[in-house]
Amino acid sequence: MMRLIRAELFKLRTTNTWWLFAVATVVSTTVVLVVNCVNAHALLGTLDQYLTAHSHGNAVADMPPEFLARLTAEWTSGHDVVTQAATIFTSGQLIGVLLACLLGIVLITGEYHHQTATTTFVLTPRRTVVVASKLVTAIFVAALSWVVSTVISLVAGVAFLSNQGYSSQLDHWSVVRAVLLNLAAYALWAVFGIGLGAVIRSQLAATVTATVLYLAGTAAAASFFELINTYVIKHDWVLTAQVIVPSVASAVMVSPAKTFTESPSQWVGAAVLIGYGIAAGPIGMLLLRRRDVA
Amino acid sequence: MSDGRIVVSGLTKQYRTVTAVDDLSFTVEPGRVTGFLGPNGAGKTTSLRMLLDLVVPTSGTATIGGHRYVDLPEPTRVVGAVLEASAAHAGRTGRNHLRANCIAAGLPLSRADEVLELVGLTPAADRKFKGYSLGMRQRLGIAAAMLGDPAVLVLDEPANGLDPEGIRWMRELLRGLAAEGRTVLVSSHLLNEMQALADDVVIVAAGRLVRQGPVADVVSSLSDGDHVEVFTPEPEKLRAALQGLGASVTADGGGSLAVAGVTAAVIGRAAHAADVVLHQLRTEHPDLEEVFLQLTHGKAAIR
Repeated sequence: MMRLIRAELFKLRTTNTWWLFAVATVVSTTVVLVVNCVNAHALLGTLDQYLTAHSHGNAVADMPPEFLARLTAEWTSGHDVVTQAATIFTSGQLIGVLLACLLGIVLITGEYHHQTATTTFVLTPRRTVVVASKLVTAIFVAALSWVVSTVISLVAGVAFLSNQGYSSQLDHWSVVRAVLLNLAAYALWAVFGIGLGAVIRSQLAATVTATVLYLAGTAAAASFFELINTYVIKHDWVLTAQVIVPSVASAVMVSPAKTFTESPSQWVGAAVLIGYGIAAGPIGMLLLRRRDVA
Repeated sequence: MSDGRIVVSGLTKQYRTVTAVDDLSFTVEPGRVTGFLGPNGAGKTTSLRMLLDLVVPTSGTATIGGHRYVDLPEPTRVVGAVLEASAAHAGRTGRNHLRANCIAAGLPLSRADEVLELVGLTPAADRKFKGYSLGMRQRLGIAAAMLGDPAVLVLDEPANGLDPEGIRWMRELLRGLAAEGRTVLVSSHLLNEMQALADDVVIVAAGRLVRQGPVADVVSSLSDGDHVEVFTPEPEKLRAALQGLGASVTADGGGSLAVAGVTAAVIGRAAHAADVVLHQLRTEHPDLEEVFLQLTHGKAAIR
């Protein structure tokens, strides 16, 4: 098992995969970090400043009442340095978990894409061990990527907060918890990637599916559950149920504040995500164990 | 070196509509090169994949030294396999491909350099796989199979893509490995090449065993032995001269005769005695190709 994990890491190191992932991690973390800091700067100011910033040169008094109400609600839920610190320190998540998922996909589908599955399973006929070592490798590399993006976010974030006149906020458990739960999100998405790669063997199809599900999943879920809530089942729990969508679950899990009005508490998101992880790993393993390699 | 006898027994693979391999049984002995022959679609590749536990048989077993492949504790040190020519990540160098295999199999990294030397790929070791020719890919495949210094070698169409020099190189390599006592099982449809390389053959068609045994036995079991091709301007005179010598003569027309039952020397002497002019006198050995086509004739390759 250790041998196979080392071999998998060696395989990652000896192609361009590792630096593509490294560059993507650093760039995406930096971009999201800048956006989050700009937002935090606005939200941590006074309500008047916030409203003025969004009035596009018009008088605040001329704003439509709904718009004014929405901006006020945004400011109220975001005007909290602990929430902002947690958001800034987990800036890597937005794209990072998708990258972790893609990494899991590449680890499995690469074997089919490059027709190396035969070689791999001839080297190690016990397939459970092969898949288990790929799972461990994916989680390990995802964790590394979490370390990189967290270090970048912490350094830049603490500098930003002190510039705004705040302490690092790392003495708040909810901030530390957000950073740690972010690690769990990376690991779980890497496990999904393995499962998805096992189900969809085509590298291109699996990559596109994962990206679309992740990026469009949250918005699609919001409209879908909104429609059901409006026309079919008129209860708030329907909106809360959005959390069953993996991308929504991971956002809920990491954010100490509500991600949407009816969002459940963090542990629900965590439970959903862990549930998917527990399902995806064994499904991938079972598929790869039973399938003929031809 | 452990006993590397391959025993295939009642092996069957049923796909939805096709029985790719149908109750196939044969054995492959150590110290010999065994050619695994059959038309396209005869089930050769499927059989080899079942032997290596890549494909699950519907029924039957295939063992190596008495063990199923999946039960071998260190499979790389017992069996080396070359199944697909293109079987490395396009962006990885040949040396790193072998090193990754070394790590996975618990072998020292230096084995990668040793097998590269063995297959003559050292000069291209640090080039990426996508730049390799088909022949270089085959050599890399053989190198990977040799990493664990295995007692058994299984090769699926290893001559594909090799140039004549490469084919001769591979023939000498495989003969040498068999001479060291290893079991060498090699599938092919290049019959002339197999006649030059193999000690034994296993012939399959439509998923079933057709014939198994030493090449010479298989060939002679189906043909009447050598015959002599004679070309003469006086075929009738020669035919008369050969009467009573125990020869069976068939006229092929145009002064050409096929003579069986007597040697070229006997025919030459008879012609000389009868004052018949000969333009050509050639002994024809029956060959594997002829026998193979006879054995597999009518067993449709596409089922």
